[in-house]
Amino acid sequence: MANLLWLQGGACSGNTMSFLNAEEPSACDLVTDFGINVLWQPSLGLELGDQVKEIVEKCISGEIKLDIFVFEGTVINAPNGTGEWNRFCGRPMKDWVKELSAVADFVVAIGDCATYGGIPATAPNPSESVGLQFLKRDKGGALGEGFAAKSGLPVINIPGCPAHPDWVTQILVAVATGRAGDLTLDEFHRPKTFFSSFTQTGCTRNMHFAYKVSTTAFGQRKGCLFYDLGCRGPMTHSPCNRILWNRHSSKTRAGMPCLGCTEPEFPFFDLAPGTVFKTQTVMGVPKDMPEGVDKKGYIKLTAAAKGAAPAWAEEDIFVV
Amino acid sequence: MSENPEASITQEQRQAYIDKYGLTPAEAGHEMLIQMIEDHFAEGLETEVEPFPETDREFGALLDQLRPLSADQLREKLVISGWLLQPYGEDQMRCQECMYYLVHKRWCDLPELDLPAKPEWWCRLWRI
Ligand code: SF4
Ligand code: SF4
Ligand code: SF4
Repeated sequence: MANLLWLQGGACSGNTMSFLNAEEPSACDLVTDFGINVLWQPSLGLELGDQVKEIVEKCISGEIKLDIFVFEGTVINAPNGTGEWNRFCGRPMKDWVKELSAVADFVVAIGDCATYGGIPATAPNPSESVGLQFLKRDKGGALGEGFAAKSGLPVINIPGCPAHPDWVTQILVAVATGRAGDLTLDEFHRPKTFFSSFTQTGCTRNMHFAYKVSTTAFGQRKGCLFYDLGCRGPMTHSPCNRILWNRHSSKTRAGMPCLGCTEPEFPFFDLAPGTVFKTQTVMGVPKDMPEGVDKKGYIKLTAAAKGAAPAWAEEDIFVV
Repeated sequence: MSENPEASITQEQRQAYIDKYGLTPAEAGHEMLIQMIEDHFAEGLETEVEPFPETDREFGALLDQLRPLSADQLREKLVISGWLLQPYGEDQMRCQECMYYLVHKRWCDLPELDLPAKPEWWCRLWRI
């Protein structure tokens, strides 16, 4: 039996909603099949007020063993570093986060806000939000660069806006069943099993990417969304086209550009007007190249791909 | 396609197209549009080749100017887009490598232009 406590800071509850939609395994499977005891969760917990406070205090005192501490949302420090804007059970949430993280065997940050700060931490960041161990790409965050939970692992980051339900439940099961040692984390503490391939891996538009045929308007099934509509699939680490959403689709399959929500910099370009759903270019060449490709190579590749593109690449090949 | 071509070009312009080609750009097919474009340049059409839109903001501003034009406003499309019948600049940029170019259809797929083009042509909305 592994005790799990889930709290929420500066968040929209999107990751809770996502978690409740999990299928493989489902949120119920965690309890019935994998021995996870949910001590409290903001949308599932029956306790209110002082009853919640009692649970949290018992975790900190050690009366209840806290195996897994899950945090969703940013750690809010406003105003002026006090954290008073986000009070929970009578004190700033940031203080609970510190104390619970110190006693938990594993700390798991879920969603972009808890991992890297996400949308709330976008400049000018009025809520002084940070992620648990990062602020965007910078190490530190609420717990500090050197933080390690009792198990020895740093915060396990499951980014996404929101995270895919199965990324959440599969990692929780791995941790709860003693397989945390099998997890390898990348430099941003993301489990490599999910975050070493790209969003583009498995995208149905890959052939159009290769032949440089652009989707020029929303709703087109032909073409690739990289060239005009700002798709970040080639430089975003996520399994969105391997572990499908709702089991049968993904943003890019449905014609929506990947926004790069599993990367620490999300949302990119601080959401400046004109930067969303539009490939940013300098003198006609994309600012952000597919990972590992330089400008010279990209130009050569484009010329070759355009020259070799077959006629079918210019058509909608998905006949209904 | 404009549903009301008269609203977009003057009656004189419209008549000039009809006298010369028997139809207007909105009604013309691929080959006829190519002919019309080449004729505009043969008659001395000057287009706004510079400034090249260096950033997306400038690129977007050009699209904003093009968007309200009807299919009959061929001349305006060519002028605003800085259309040329040869490659341009140090890098010899041309439609053939442009992201919007459909090499088999020989067509510019940028919705705001939506015109036939030859591989050696170019306009300042070029991007790769
Ligand atoms: S749509 Fe995006 S993810 Fe798909 S092939 Fe194009 S760039 Fe890659
Ligand atoms: S497709 Fe991109 S933006 Fe969408 S969930 Fe996946 S990583 Fe995030
Ligand atoms: S946007 Fe300009 S350069 Fe690109 S294909 Fe169209 S006409 Fe050619």
